Amino acid sequence: MANRPVHFIWLLDCSYSMQGEKIARLNYAIREAIPEMRSVAHDNPAAQLLLRTVTFSTTAKWHHQTPVPVDDFTWQDVEVDGMTNLGEALSLVSRELQSPPMPQRALKPVLALVSDGVPTDDWKAGLKAVDATPWGRKAVRVAIAIGHDADRSVLQEFLANPELQPLDANSPKQLAAAIRWASTAAVKAASQPVAGSGDPLAKQPFAPPVLDDDDDDDVW
Amino acid sequence: MVTALVRRWATLAESIQGTGKRQNQDWYAFSGTGSAADPLVLAVADGHGSAAHARSALGARFAVDRFVALATEFGRAADTCHEPGGLARLMNHARNDMPRALVKSWREAALGHWSRHRPVADLGLPEPGPDEKLTLYGTTLIGAVVTPWLLTAWQIGDGDLAVVGHDGTVRRPLAPAEDDLGDETESLCGPQAWRAVRTHWAPVFEEARVPRLLVLSTDGLSKSFASGDGFTEFVGDMDERLATEGFEGVRDALPDWLRHASRYSGDDTTLAAALLHSYAARPRPTAHTEPDPEPGPEARTESEPKRET
Repeated sequence: MANRPVHFIWLLDCSYSMQGEKIARLNYAIREAIPEMRSVAHDNPAAQLLLRTVTFSTTAKWHHQTPVPVDDFTWQDVEVDGMTNLGEALSLVSRELQSPPMPQRALKPVLALVSDGVPTDDWKAGLKAVDATPWGRKAVRVAIAIGHDADRSVLQEFLANPELQPLDANSPKQLAAAIRWASTAAVKAASQPVAGSGDPLAKQPFAPPVLDDDDDDDVW
Repeated sequence: MVTALVRRWATLAESIQGTGKRQNQDWYAFSGTGSAADPLVLAVADGHGSAAHARSALGARFAVDRFVALATEFGRAADTCHEPGGLARLMNHARNDMPRALVKSWREAALGHWSRHRPVADLGLPEPGPDEKLTLYGTTLIGAVVTPWLLTAWQIGDGDLAVVGHDGTVRRPLAPAEDDLGDETESLCGPQAWRAVRTHWAPVFEEARVPRLLVLSTDGLSKSFASGDGFTEFVGDMDERLATEGFEGVRDALPDWLRHASRYSGDDTTLAAALLHSYAARPRPTAHTEPDPEPGPEARTESEPKRET
């Protein structure tokens, strides 16, 4: 017998525009969110939370390629590189959303996309590849737009649900809150059964939070 | 040429509430002996359980209760269809009319309950549409009816039906060609739900080929296994344990097996089974088996007091 895995994959924009405080805050926010992810996982012992990270810049690559159980997961900081090749990252992830390698008896995977810019490659082809996979279509998707330059329309299309909106992170404080929410609410949503294919709630298993705009941190 | 021999079945069932669940949303029932006048009927249902299906425990109960009534009637009708064309008509009824009748009856039960328990009336909220009301009661269902010459079963949504043949072969005749991914499943509350009902029609033309064991379970059991073959292996092991440990031994161990499975799937876990009486009553070998470290069909453990079935 075995618990059913929940595969959680971060897709992180590591282009040059993230240089400086943004990437530092992103690393900090994810590191700080790990204990909360563990807590959510422990609340649902029937699910086994497995984490991976893809970074995309001039190329897309696995930062954590092998799924790591959340209890064993340690964050290694990501660094900035060059362009914003989101399409390549999505294509990379799509290969993992096939069955196999992803087992049929898994819970819905979570795809958490974080970006501050505009894709510089054929991102639509990458998104099409994800949508063409059985698990990609069922994935719980979360998108965080860092700063006002992020292409929200791309993130909206990634979410593939007009009832969901990308979460805006226009300050370090908002980014931390958004990462915390993406790390926990999406895992909870993926771990809960959604029965009945005609269920209208199936497309909106969780609601994004209202993030406070009024803070003293620098605004991006 | 069909035989018309009276048979009797031994039955057992157990239901375990999922870890962390506030309420067990599964339901099961069986009735009858398997004779022509008193068909054996078994059913299990799994209420969806999420917030959108807040009354699904009731929905599961309605599904099982309505199925037992309809299937008993169906089984009795089977005894009077030996005239020319009767078998074909019964098969058509099983495949087309029964799913519609089942869905209609379940909807009546659910909407009837809603009309008697309407929170909107107290809260001054607008009356929801029928589909919204039915969603509250969403459930899956697996049911089977056995007469001396016929086994027929129906399923909507996930869960499993296993049939162990006279030769020990385990089959899952209602399993979809490909398992659903994740937890999404068809439901009695879905639009045109009768279209999603799968039917297994199996007349028994030879006494020696009567299946010896039927096992119905909600998905809390099958989803505790790492692979789709896990449930089939479980039933095969259970059949072996019935041969070595006897009916009573399996019935005593069943709660621990399901509790163990529920810890992995996290879901309510229910199993109902019927064992051909002549098979259950046959002399048992005196072999002694050492207990394995983990409970399961392959490892008998001492159980807590069993639920009265």
